[in-house]
Parts: sequence; structure tokens; C-alpha cells
Amino acid sequence: MDVRLPRLGEGADSGTVSAVFVREGDTVKTDQAVLELESEKAVASIPAPSSGRVTKIYVKEGDAVKVGQLIFALSEDAGVDAGKAATKPIDASVGDDEERELVVVAEEASASTTEPLPGESLSQLPTGVVPPGSPSIRKLARELGIDLTRVRGSQRGGRIVMADLKRYVQQMQHASLKPKPQAVPFPTAPVAESIDFSKWGKVTTKKLTTLRRTISTRMVESWTTIPHVTQFDEADITSLLALRKRYASKYERKNGHLTLTAFALNVVVDILKKHPIFNASLDETAGEIVFKDYYHIGIAVDTEHGLIVPVIRDVDKKDLLQLSLELHELAERTRQRKVGLDEMQGGSFTISNQGGIGSAHFTPIINKPQMAILGMGRGVLKPVVVKRKVQQRTMLPLGLSYDHRIIDGADAARFMVDLVQAFESFKEADVRI
Amino acid sequence: MKRITTELVVVGGGPGGYAAAFYAADKGMKVILFEQERRLGGVCLNYGCIPSKAYLHAAKLISEALDSDHRGIHFAKPSIDLNQMRSWKNSILDKLSTGISGLAQRRNVEVLFGRGYFEDSRTLRVETEKGQQFVEFERAILALGSKAAMPPAFDLGNKRIMTSTESLEVEEIPKDLLVVGGGYIGMELGTVYATLGSSVVVVEALGSILSGADPDLVRPVLRYAENAFKELRMNTKVQKMATSGKKIKVTFEVDGKPKDELYDRVLVSIGRVPNTRDCGLENTKVLKDDRGFVRVNDRQETNDPGIYAIGDVAGGVLLAHKASKEARIAVEVMTGESSTFEHIVIPAVVFTDPEIAWCGLTEAEAREKKIPVAVAKFPWTASGRAVSFDRTDGLTKLVIEPQTERVLGVGIVGAGAGELISEGVLAIEMGATAKDLAESVHPHPTLSETIAEAAESFYGYATHTFTKKREEKE
Repeated sequence: MDVRLPRLGEGADSGTVSAVFVREGDTVKTDQAVLELESEKAVASIPAPSSGRVTKIYVKEGDAVKVGQLIFALSEDAGVDAGKAATKPIDASVGDDEERELVVVAEEASASTTEPLPGESLSQLPTGVVPPGSPSIRKLARELGIDLTRVRGSQRGGRIVMADLKRYVQQMQHASLKPKPQAVPFPTAPVAESIDFSKWGKVTTKKLTTLRRTISTRMVESWTTIPHVTQFDEADITSLLALRKRYASKYERKNGHLTLTAFALNVVVDILKKHPIFNASLDETAGEIVFKDYYHIGIAVDTEHGLIVPVIRDVDKKDLLQLSLELHELAERTRQRKVGLDEMQGGSFTISNQGGIGSAHFTPIINKPQMAILGMGRGVLKPVVVKRKVQQRTMLPLGLSYDHRIIDGADAARFMVDLVQAFESFKEADVRI
Repeated sequence: MKRITTELVVVGGGPGGYAAAFYAADKGMKVILFEQERRLGGVCLNYGCIPSKAYLHAAKLISEALDSDHRGIHFAKPSIDLNQMRSWKNSILDKLSTGISGLAQRRNVEVLFGRGYFEDSRTLRVETEKGQQFVEFERAILALGSKAAMPPAFDLGNKRIMTSTESLEVEEIPKDLLVVGGGYIGMELGTVYATLGSSVVVVEALGSILSGADPDLVRPVLRYAENAFKELRMNTKVQKMATSGKKIKVTFEVDGKPKDELYDRVLVSIGRVPNTRDCGLENTKVLKDDRGFVRVNDRQETNDPGIYAIGDVAGGVLLAHKASKEARIAVEVMTGESSTFEHIVIPAVVFTDPEIAWCGLTEAEAREKKIPVAVAKFPWTASGRAVSFDRTDGLTKLVIEPQTERVLGVGIVGAGAGELISEGVLAIEMGATAKDLAESVHPHPTLSETIAEAAESFYGYATHTFTKKREEKE
């Protein structure tokens, strides 16, 4: 089976191979990491789609690779689950592609149609099986240099006919003529004049990594296309911290780390349910707001390589223990650069907690195409007037950046009020285990 | 010394060579075709496909006549005039060969008879009846063909030890005939001799005859052979042969010990070797594999730019229609088309009784390569047409990709399977699904209905069989 580079997530279509974990001839298990790729906002491992032996590796460290490019070849092994492994790509292609297409539509402002984009592989056929099309179609495709695995067949069994080939060619042409909206010039775009800093003192230089370039491109894109407003407030987390103190050891016994981020996940998801616009996305092409029935929350993780945002799925369906376990495990893997690409996709809201480091309010930048992002600072003891008396309370600084194109200030204020309220009235029942 | 220049030389006038020469001429090239025998057509026409089919037709006629008592038709035992039969066979070959020569002439393809020898990558020396000639060419197609393998241990120079070539002359009907090798040539010619009256013993070194075909397709042929032949011996090796008066003493290895038997004639059909010796290929950059076949890529290009190889000499399956397809690919590649042999379906037909034919993915291959498939079968006992001429010993099966329901392979055993398989080839090449086959109306009463019914049985509603409904896809 030839394995091509899968779509990497939000708008990404290329990356750089930062490590190759296997050698030709090695056997791998399903989901075992084969390569590590530095791409977009992540350093991620590319897993083996099925068990088997790596027969060929087409890329090496430092290679730039694109979505759809052949990266390695796998021969299904003779193991017990080989039959299952062999059928898996087919099953996956049915569900996955549909899902992937939806993601593409939702996340790529350029996607004007639900047709698959050129370069997206549509079907993973069993080894040695060619895409179904008549000899004359196959010959024409060869002459035009078209890989038929990328053409969607409209006929029974996915058979490709002339009309499909024409449509594909038209799409290709369309795509190549249309300026790509993602091709926002790199931040350095206004040709920066080279400055010789060394004339004022000693300097050292360091090349930008792919991850850093990606972060900068995406920050510029978000900052320049979304009118950001940040709503500030503080939440009194004194009683929440008391709960944390009471239950921390119980959680520890189950390997759970009762962090403020875990509490925040639990709190935020309820507020998102009440204010669905903050969990939505804007489809600029269709002129529609896309509301999501799922709550996948991204967590900004500070790694030595830079910011990476893995996503915790279905936060609304998980209790505090589950969230604390998952959060810890995911953050660990993210720091070890072992988080999969699919684990960074599909987020509907993001939390950035700087409390572990210190400092107070800040204005986070929205993780496009999401609508809003919550920034948390460090909770500090402050004199607060409670019931006409000055008391010592621990106040958590909060900053909510939102997309003012869609969300009005009043909405944000209402969101913030509810959020603060939720932090302040966290119920013991929700933390008890 | 005469020197000729030409755009293209084709070396070998078999079904690959003449097809290439004609196609290149049709595309406007100046072509010279060389044939070392005195007649065009190659092994296929002169010593293979065509004469064997003539004899198999005669054999079928005899079997049918002898098997008609229950139909109320009583024939006397046939008397066979071997000389007349041979003349009839030769007349068929003459007719076809003359036809090919005529077609060459009309296309202005120059045909030279004589042995060709490569002096270098652009020059061919030919020994013709009129003397030596040198031909300078821009491009060459090697269509040198193959010949029956004859191990030195069997090669006694005794005409009673035959290859397929000699056996097709049918000089006599030997009382006891040993066929060494249970491949398609041994099984076809064994059938001819058995029907003509020989007592035939077939020995095969492997565990089964007709390796490559799915076992369920081979089974009816095994049943026939067990009845018509004196004996089928699997896992048996022949150690040596010796002349013993008017007989051949054959030494077998049985349980590690030698055992001698006497036969009137022996047919050695253990495979074929490429004709790549003594033709000067070492003076070119053409590379051969360890078995002597010319190495080519999927565009029929050899290692020597401008020299192409097609047909048996290029290895793979040694079949005439594969050679003809490769001829087209080679010529198209020469003229700049992006043709390739990749993913081309080559059907195989064994003209035994009954015939076996298959194309695309076999069930065994799917299992071996772990390609998930569903198999739909239709036994000919349920075919009205098969019952009407007493040949229900047939089976039609489809190898189907279960997700898309696309037909990946077709296998047929039964009378006339060779004629039926083409629908399977078309289905696979067109990327047809089982539904496509099931929905296409097949005429009644014909054997072709078995293909549609096999497809219907995949969905669980074949009219003439009852199969459990196919479970809904998950």
C-alpha cells in the first residue's frame, strides 16, 4: 500500500520532515508513528494506516512534502489482523473523506464547492487494484499525466467516465487560475531591508523553523482578517481552589492532575452551550454561520519549539477526572512532539492558560476559523469587597478575544458574566469522585 | 556487400512480430520484418495454438460421436487416416500464413527470411538465401519467441522423444505415450493423443496439473483426465530416458528409488526457453535475466535505447495475445504515445476438455496478496444450455471487490470457456461492477448467461440457483 501524506489540518498543505522513525524493512503496527512532520502549527507524527512492513520510504529528513505526496509504502503483513488491516483503508475512505470534505468546506475560505480539491486522494484501493475506468479513459489520463486515484468516478462502483475526467481537468484549471486566499503574503512581505545589527554589537542568528513560520503566517492572517476585541474580567476562584485542595490527592491517586485548565474546560463548555455563537465558525464563501453540535476545545501548549494547539474532543461528554487525565496526557505528548495531526484538527474553541507561568491579563489571538479564544492569567490574592467587607480572595484574570464581525460586544459581555459566575459557583458535585 | 537502411526492423514473424510490423507500417514507418523460418506466423501458427486447435477439434468430434449412444445416435468406431489429417492441418496453416504474407505485402512491409544477428546496436546481419545482408536500422523490435525446453538428459536425438512441435505432426498414434509435464501444453496434447487412441500417462513434478488456475476450475479437467488418461501422477520426477529398441525406457524417481517403464513415445512439455542465444544480443546493450529472457520495462523498452522486446522473449506469460498487445505498446511508445503494459488484463485459456479460462485476479492470487474479495459462483448444472448438450461439468465464477462491487477477476471452466472469457476481460478493463453484469441482458439459451447469473448470485437472486441473500454491507 502506498501511503501518501494526509491532509494536515486547518489550511495546511505542506510541511518539512523533521524525523524518520523507521527504516525500510521494519514492521509497524497500526497508528505507530512512522515520520515526524513539522507543519503549520504543529510538529506531528504521521502514523501507519495499518500494520505491515515498511517496504519503501520516499522521503528523508529535511524534505519538504505536500499533501498527497507519496511518503512511504507498506506491505500488509501476514498477521492475524491482516485481513482487517487490508479492508480498513476502504472503510476509512468512505467515512473519512466525507468528514474531511466537510472540514475543508468549513475551514478553507477558498472552498467554493463541495467537490474534492485537486490533490486530494479520494479512494484507497487494495494493493495492485487500479481505479476503475475503461482502457480509453486510462490511456487519456496517462497522456494528460492525471493520476486517476485523484479523480472521483461518478458511475457505479466509482467508475470513472469521460465526464469525470473533464470535470477534474476543469477543476484543476480553475484552482490553478484562481488566486489562493491562503497565499496571504508572508509577514515579511513589505520587502524588509536587511539591517546589519552587528554594527551595534555582537549578535547570533537562528533560522526560523517551519513551525515558527507557520505560527507567524497564521497569526498575521488571523490578526489582519478578524477584527479582534478582547473582553476582560476576573473570576473569584477562592472556593474553587478550596475544592481543588480537598480533591487534589484523590485525583492524584487516579493519576489525575486537577489543574485550573481542567476546571476551565469543564466550566467553559457549559457557557459555550448557552452561547453557541462562540462555538461557531464563519463560512465567508457561503455567507453562513456554521454552528457546531460538538465541543472540541483546543488547548494552547507551550513547547520548546513553539506554540502547539492540540484539541480535546467532546469536552461536554467528559467529567472532570476524564478531562484532567486527558489534558495531562495530551499536553505531555504535545511537548514530546508526539501528537498526531488529526489531534490538532476540528477545534471549535480554544483556551490559553498562562497561569502556570505567571502574569495577568493578555489579549489572545483567535485561532481561525474559530470565533473566540479564552486567555487565563495567574490567579492572585486581592483585597475584594464581599458583602460590604474587604476580604482576601483569589482572583483569576480572564480575557476573551472574539470575532467582532459576528459577535457583538453585548454578547461577549453576557458570555463573560456567565463564565465568571460559573467559575465562582463551581459545584462540589462536579468535582467529587 | 549490400547494406539496407530502414526505420524499423522487427526480428521474428510470430503473432508479436508481425503485429508490430503491420502496426508500425500503418503508422507510416518503413519496416523490415525478419523471419528465420520459411513462413510467417511463428510458433503460434506453425507449431502451437493453431495446429493444436485443429487436432483438438478432431478429437472433440471423435469424443462427441463416441458419446452419442444415449442420444440415440450410434457411430461405428472411427477410422483415422493420419496423413489426411495432417494435410488438413497443414492446409489450415497454409491458409493463415498466406493471409499474413498478403497483409504484409499490402502494407509494403518487406519480409526477409533468414537468421538475424546483431552486429551492434544499429546493425543487423542477416543470412538469407540470396546471401549475407546488412541492415542498418533506427529502431528494432525483438520478437524472437521461445522454444520448448528439452533438458540434456532427455535429448537423445531419438524422434520418439518429442516436444510439442514434433508431436503436432502426429506421425503415428503411439500405443503408450508418456507426457512429461502437466501444464497446458501437456494436457492439451495428451487429450489429443488419448482421444486418437493412445494410452496416456501424464507425470507432473508439482502437486497439481495446470498450476496457476484456481483448483475449483481445474477439478472438472482432473475428472476428465482421470477417466480418459491411463494415469495422472503428481509429485513425480523423471530422472532419465534411454533408447530401448523401438521404445523409450523412462526412469522415474519413486519414493527416492528409481523405477523403469517402457513407452512408445514421450512428449516433453516442461516449459519453454527464450530464443535469445546466438543472435548477437551481446553486441548490444540489451540485458537478459538469469533465465535468458530479455529485460524490458512496462513500455517494452530494453536497456538499449531504440531496441524493444515483445512476446515470449520478453518473459511473463508466454501467450500469443500478450505478444500482440506488447507489439502495439512498443510501436505506440516509439511514436510518442504514453502507452504502458501496466494494468492490462491478459486472459488465459487452456483448451482441455472441458476448457478453462480466466482473467484478472484469481481467487488464489487474492488470497495470497490479501486482497479482500467476494467470490460469486454459478455451477453449470443450473444452465439450460449446458444441460442441452450434456456438458454440465462447468463453473463460472466472479472475483469481486466487496466494497465497490467491482469485478476484479473472472474464471470459467466448461465447454467453450475460451469463447466466454472475453466478456470477463471487457468487464474488468471497463471497471464494471457485478451489478453491471447482472443488469446486462444475456441471450437465452446460451452459456454466457452463466456470467450474468454468477453476478446475480452475488446479490442473492440468481434465477436458476438458490443462494442465501448476501448480507447487507456494514
